[in-house]
Amino acid sequence: MVDFKITDEQQLIIDNVRRLIRDEIRPLEEELDPDAFSLPESEKDRLVGMVKDMGLYKMDVPTEYGGPGVDLVTRTLVAEELSQHRAGLYSPAYGVFGSGPPGQLYNATEEQKEKYLWPVIRGEKSSFFGLSEPSGGSDPARAIKTRGVKDGDDWVINGGKLWNSGADTADFGIVYVRTDPSKGREGVSAFIVDTDTPGFRVERLVQVLRAHYTTELSFTDMRIPKENLLGEEGGGFALANEYLSMQRIPYSATGLGVAIYAHEMATDWAKQRETFGQPLANRQAIQWMLVDNEIDIRTGRWACLAAADLAQRGEPFRFESSMAKLVSTEGAGRVVDRSMQIFGGLGMSKDLPLERWYRELRIRRIGEGPSEVQRIVMARDLLNIRSGS
Amino acid sequence: MRIRKPWTEWDDEINFKSLPGAMGVFEIADEDRKTIYIGKASGKSPFGLRGELFLCFADTARLEDANWTHPKMGQVLPTIKEKGKYYRYEVNHMYYSRWIEILTRFNEDHGRLPPANLEDQEDIPKLGKYHWKTQESAMED
Repeated sequence: MVDFKITDEQQLIIDNVRRLIRDEIRPLEEELDPDAFSLPESEKDRLVGMVKDMGLYKMDVPTEYGGPGVDLVTRTLVAEELSQHRAGLYSPAYGVFGSGPPGQLYNATEEQKEKYLWPVIRGEKSSFFGLSEPSGGSDPARAIKTRGVKDGDDWVINGGKLWNSGADTADFGIVYVRTDPSKGREGVSAFIVDTDTPGFRVERLVQVLRAHYTTELSFTDMRIPKENLLGEEGGGFALANEYLSMQRIPYSATGLGVAIYAHEMATDWAKQRETFGQPLANRQAIQWMLVDNEIDIRTGRWACLAAADLAQRGEPFRFESSMAKLVSTEGAGRVVDRSMQIFGGLGMSKDLPLERWYRELRIRRIGEGPSEVQRIVMARDLLNIRSGS
Repeated sequence: MRIRKPWTEWDDEINFKSLPGAMGVFEIADEDRKTIYIGKASGKSPFGLRGELFLCFADTARLEDANWTHPKMGQVLPTIKEKGKYYRYEVNHMYYSRWIEILTRFNEDHGRLPPANLEDQEDIPKLGKYHWKTQESAMED
């Protein structure tokens, strides 16, 4: 049974984060380009200092790696707060809370941790995630065509990746490669790839609906030392799957944060704006939109917290994680759409953040697993169908 | 990828309204058609690309005649004022990420930003790397 009561400690954390977003991030954002996704360095440094003083820097790093030890339920609650500003969906709090290393690196060898995991935790290196390819992303077990062939002490990798956010600024990436074409998911291995490796190229920055771009990569006879194989040979897909399921929960909650802010704005506007002698809020059509917003937000929140609670207790959470992603992203899209309708023409303009959220939330129904794939995952659990059949 | 359009020489007699009032990106070049500035007409730009290009090229008297205002009126970057001769633009709703793409490509090709961007107060996010240079970079250097 899930207890949704927020503890005093959680409330204190939420209040601190909320204050920082409302009193610091939102006013700064007024001066930035409407599509900006980063803060000037001096402002970022100042805010990182404030977050460190709060004891909330790099919240997702476990205590044994020097993190503050914030549990997944609390991180989900915080994620909902972090995104409540214009750039919040894809740049929550502009990164001033810091982010941990890719989860797969916690399974790395000690040498790999020394070279990659610790520098990320210290903020000296950044990484990207290379799974999807032009041949597909939702079914990586079959879609991965990038080929790795063993040659002496190296692996020689040829192929490419698509939709790799941050690959142009990263120092290294976790790249999934087919090392045995005779096998399905067991033929995929994960490698740590330094971006200065000869043969590594960012072919182009790919422009999409959101304010930030993504990248297309190519690998040509790229030699990766065997020491950079992450986990077991053929164990890459299992590594990715576990990571993606866990990430899906706070990722889903950031979508909710945007919906909460949009709903808050729409509610205030409905009370102020008068048409035909009465506030919009007196009109049943508007009241129903606001109620539907509230229902979408609460349903999404419960789904996210239920998934986080299960994952935190070490119980199976794959179904709930997919449900959280599906319900919160689709619900948040509807909330922003209704809020724009309530604002009328102003809702379309770049004066308000709604148009940016509208564009970016559309991507959320596809990124990190489309809604249809989430339904496939849930159906497999419901019908007890083995994954990969 | 840089803007794939031919350069147009600025004409002081140009009709203000013949340039798009939309958001987008633009480049300014000197008389050798070497890029000296990569700019954007953002969601906050009054008059969009039309306004940003006029700000770069048109003299203040002309702007006053047009009953036209811009928050940076009269603050043309020194290199543009001295050397700006050609322009090319692209209407683009994703102007911000496209602007960064063009800056990133230029920065990697030349190992530096265009001179007028270095004079600009505009905050540029950390630029990434392609790990390769274009052929046109050799022609421009």
